[in-house]
Amino acid sequence: MSAVRQYELIYIVPPETTEEALAELQTQVEAITQRFSATIEKTENWGRRKLAYEIGPHRDGIYVLHVINGPAALVTELDRRLRVFDLVIRHIVVRVDLDLAIAERARTRRKASMSARRVRRGLPPEPTEQERIRRSEDDDDMDGPEMGFRGGDR
Amino acid sequence: MSDFDNRDKGGGRGGSRDKDDKKGGGRRTFFRRRRVCKFCVEKIDYISYKDVKLIASFVPERGKIQPRRISGVCATHQRALQRAIKRARQIALVPYVSE
Repeated sequence: MSAVRQYELIYIVPPETTEEALAELQTQVEAITQRFSATIEKTENWGRRKLAYEIGPHRDGIYVLHVINGPAALVTELDRRLRVFDLVIRHIVVRVDLDLAIAERARTRRKASMSARRVRRGLPPEPTEQERIRRSEDDDDMDGPEMGFRGGDR
Repeated sequence: MSDFDNRDKGGGRGGSRDKDDKKGGGRRTFFRRRRVCKFCVEKIDYISYKDVKLIASFVPERGKIQPRRISGVCATHQRALQRAIKRARQIALVPYVSE
């Protein structure tokens, strides 16, 4: 029994692709995921975008994103099948659950340490609304016009 | 005073040389904005390869990944950024090279 992981699948189809052809492709992807008893968590169509570089004759493409929860075997199968489809000009599958978990852990750790620091200073663990406003106001990251550029040595 | 002069003339021993270098460095340093890691400051935990707007700011015109010494990104985040840029390149969100 293989573990369920989260993957992001993005593929690019030519901009002149008809709605039906795209829907057909999506049902194919769904069929593959169902075969591996995986679920599509989210589907996003980014619409037409300019490609950063030309892929064959294409300069633009329609990007489609699927977030899929499924086993690792699904990825090899998806990869193999997508490579065969003529319609798909580029695709990528990325495992995201690990990275997202790490990010989540970092966030909670930061929150915990912040509230611990605040408690030590005798403040409530969460910043109040007023403090938050004050913080955004005193912008001291030295990038304002008042800093100016003092070119040269002096 | 004389002591100091003598030491200076004494063929640039390690100690006095260091002093001189430091002085020179002090004069040369001018006001420079302290560079900080954008991702640390803005508390971005996960650098997604899908976030073109963010990533593109670290890929200059030519298409190369901007080095850390220029952008000031910390090592941890530069690694994550590098991964994101390379993924983004694969799906043509960011160029490999241009011109």
